[in-house]
Amino acid sequence: MKTSRQRSRDSRSIGQQQRQFQREEFRGALRALLMTPLMSPMHEDFIAVRRQANALQEWFTRETGWPLQIGREGARLYKRPADLNNSTRGLPDYDRRKYVLLCLACAVLERADPQVTLRILVERLLGLAAEPGLTSLGFTFRLGSHHERRELVAVCRTLLSLGVLQRVAGDEDAFVQGGGDQADALYDVHRPALAGMLAAVRGPSTWPAEEAPDTLDQRLHTLLDEHVADSDEGQRTALRHRIARRLLDDPAVYLEDLNPEARSYFINQRGAMAARLCDATGLVAEQRAEGLALVDETGTLTDIAMPAEGTDAHVTLLAAEYLATDYRQQADTAGRRQPFVKREHDIVDLLRDAKGRYGRYWRKSAREPGAERELAKVAIGRLEKLQLIVRSADSILPLPALARFALGEAEIRQETPDMPIPVSDSLFSR
Amino acid sequence: MQAVSDSAELFRHVSAEKAYFYRCIMDVFAAAKRQYRLQLRPDEVLAEARWPAKLPEIEEVNAALTQLTVWGNLESHPDTARVSSLSDFYRARYLYRLSQGGEAVESALALFVQTLERRAELQSIALEDIASRLEALRALAAETEPDVAKVHETLRDLVRVFEGLAENAQAFMAGVARSIELQQAQAGAVLNYKRQLIDYLERFIGDLVRRSDTIAGLIDALEPRIDAMLQQVAAREGRDAAPGEIQDQIDAQTRYREGWRERWRGLRGWFFRSSHEPSQAELLRARARSAIPQLLAAIAALNERRSGRSDRSADFRVLAGWFVACADDNEAHRLARAAFALNPARHFSLDIDAGIDVPATTRWADAPPLVIHPRLREYGEAAPRGPLPRVRDRTEARTRLARELAQESQQVEAARKRLATGQPTYLSNLGELDTHAFSLFLGLLGEALSEQAGPESVAERPTGDGPLHVHLKPLPPDSYAEINTPRGIFGGRDHVITITSTQDVQ
Repeated sequence: MKTSRQRSRDSRSIGQQQRQFQREEFRGALRALLMTPLMSPMHEDFIAVRRQANALQEWFTRETGWPLQIGREGARLYKRPADLNNSTRGLPDYDRRKYVLLCLACAVLERADPQVTLRILVERLLGLAAEPGLTSLGFTFRLGSHHERRELVAVCRTLLSLGVLQRVAGDEDAFVQGGGDQADALYDVHRPALAGMLAAVRGPSTWPAEEAPDTLDQRLHTLLDEHVADSDEGQRTALRHRIARRLLDDPAVYLEDLNPEARSYFINQRGAMAARLCDATGLVAEQRAEGLALVDETGTLTDIAMPAEGTDAHVTLLAAEYLATDYRQQADTAGRRQPFVKREHDIVDLLRDAKGRYGRYWRKSAREPGAERELAKVAIGRLEKLQLIVRSADSILPLPALARFALGEAEIRQETPDMPIPVSDSLFSR
Repeated sequence: MQAVSDSAELFRHVSAEKAYFYRCIMDVFAAAKRQYRLQLRPDEVLAEARWPAKLPEIEEVNAALTQLTVWGNLESHPDTARVSSLSDFYRARYLYRLSQGGEAVESALALFVQTLERRAELQSIALEDIASRLEALRALAAETEPDVAKVHETLRDLVRVFEGLAENAQAFMAGVARSIELQQAQAGAVLNYKRQLIDYLERFIGDLVRRSDTIAGLIDALEPRIDAMLQQVAAREGRDAAPGEIQDQIDAQTRYREGWRERWRGLRGWFFRSSHEPSQAELLRARARSAIPQLLAAIAALNERRSGRSDRSADFRVLAGWFVACADDNEAHRLARAAFALNPARHFSLDIDAGIDVPATTRWADAPPLVIHPRLREYGEAAPRGPLPRVRDRTEARTRLARELAQESQQVEAARKRLATGQPTYLSNLGELDTHAFSLFLGLLGEALSEQAGPESVAERPTGDGPLHVHLKPLPPDSYAEINTPRGIFGGRDHVITITSTQDVQ
């Protein structure tokens, strides 16, 4: 027999548990959307996203102004960026030509039936690629070479991984080999995902010829500029959304990257903003004089983890420590500033030495002579993507957050140390 | 060959230069035929035709009529009617009428237009008609002397209705497969059409399901009588055939009967599943059902187009042009982020401030750096990775285990035999028990005692695992029994115990 007090305590704890569960599910769904803005119904977190649809839509509208569509057929978070100058956030391993092909493939699919084959797709794509609007700018795509076939298949794979296409039969590999009629694949076209491909505020084709934007900057703005209410409140909200978008999507927000207006708002509001965003996402705020980074303890809310396991991550860490130690010394001797100059070959030298010490832990290809050049490129690229350095010509300029990765006191803990490896099943520490 | 080229001539006027003019004239003749007028004069043609613009001259009409005669669409006869003027008398005067070929062409063209214009429809009414005709047939069949004329009429009706249904269904299936109505439709039209079509399909499918059964039942009921009836009808039709040889008559009858049988088989096939193919009705049902998702897909595509307020395909093409215009890959990446916004979030891993309070005015350079696990810094891996353990051969251990298991089960079996005698035994007389027997005995005793209501009462129960039955009767409290075991001496109040194997009980 339980007393009534016990019973009420039990039911209260059940209520708390439910609230706790709701909070955690919301957080998981939010993080999943930040990582996969175009989510297919097959995604493991999709059910949570659907259950939390209203709360998520409300949250994104309030905090970032990002439209979020959730339906039976998938979810799409239109993560319109606030930083237009970052060139490290495109699709992985893409170049200009592949982007063109991706657009043309989407254009073909928009007009296609519910099913399409690779060969029909290619045929129509070649038709679009031959239009004078593209050829006059020097774009040619004739599917003559092996290389062009590979490009095209890479685009197909992108569409497959986004869930725009679903393979029913056949495969793309034979097509790369230039196989004859047998080299074909049959796809289902998943319309809702296709409709979610373009994140533009206004369709690029809706501009009349005389108003059409013709420089890159104008074009970026026409894709992204949303309507802002012409009031103080509206302006402030737009400002807040821009900052929140950076905080949620980028590794760090530096004060010096913000315009004066945004900077003053940010300095005033950064504590409150960080608290709100961290509460929802489970990130941790790293407030510093030069800016703010929202850090993820689990290392899952990122496409490039740092620090992490593996040869590439290891050489990146070594390069970061090397640069950061220098940078710290510079900072300590403030007043007698010497220009900080490190170049790519410094990193190459560093890694050549490191190969002797650590090479036996690296993958085989990294131990070959001359591999340090490639490794240096990888390391610099990763540091750049993480907003830890900036490159100008040949020299490498550190950004403030690089100091995180200086050689700290290596403490050996007695209990099991925190493993800095992505643990996908425990998103929530504490 | 001759026939083909002749019949090709018959269609010449449709593609000729003055096709419209010729068609006007032919329409007049077709109308005349419907009114049972056998021939027309040129002036009548001129008066009755619906000319597109101005009235043509009579000479033109005459020329056209002559041409049509040459092509074989018309036949001409000299007109022997009285005339009232000299010029009329001297002019070659003809009466025109449709030739056989011309008639065929007219009806072919009429059918052609009708087929083109036909809206594929699924007739629920037809189903009702078929059912009622079959009902009538059954009533007729039940009579001892069926009225052949009535049977014939009903059958003819039945076939007519059924052919209409089949043709329409065929057109509908083809139409749905091509989804003509959906592809060509404008947005508004599709949306209006949507409700109607879905309602219509639902109604039809409902009807089909409901009536198929009835119809199938009727067909089944008619099956034994139908052949005789078809025979009679064929005989009746044979009587209508043109007179000829006896053999021809018989042949004609056989032909008619075969024709009727074939139709009947077709009717059966519609509502009954043949050995390996689903019935036509089922196919139609499936097809009608599949029309609904197709329709919805078309509507979804329209909605997408509308919600984008712009033609997506054109958007992508323009965007491709923008990408081509980018100076380098970096610009393309910037444009891609703005256009697609597909990039995942990117954040540093590991938290520095855990447990350390760093004021927000601290520079990154002055804040404590990240504590990185030394393994990660030294080896680029977080967990030590030793060599893989050697694969061990475990066959020996397995055989030993199997041996031990076998041995143990043998011992348990022996213990059971030793204890489960089925005879009442004093505990004090059990004597020495080996390890296995004793553990079995303890188990049994425990189970029996747990059943005992009090220290003085008798307890009996089957063992929990079933194969044994224990009966335990306590002796006076001053009695004492001892059992010797390898583990020591077990002592306590004496009981009479009866352990029976349940197989023996039965």
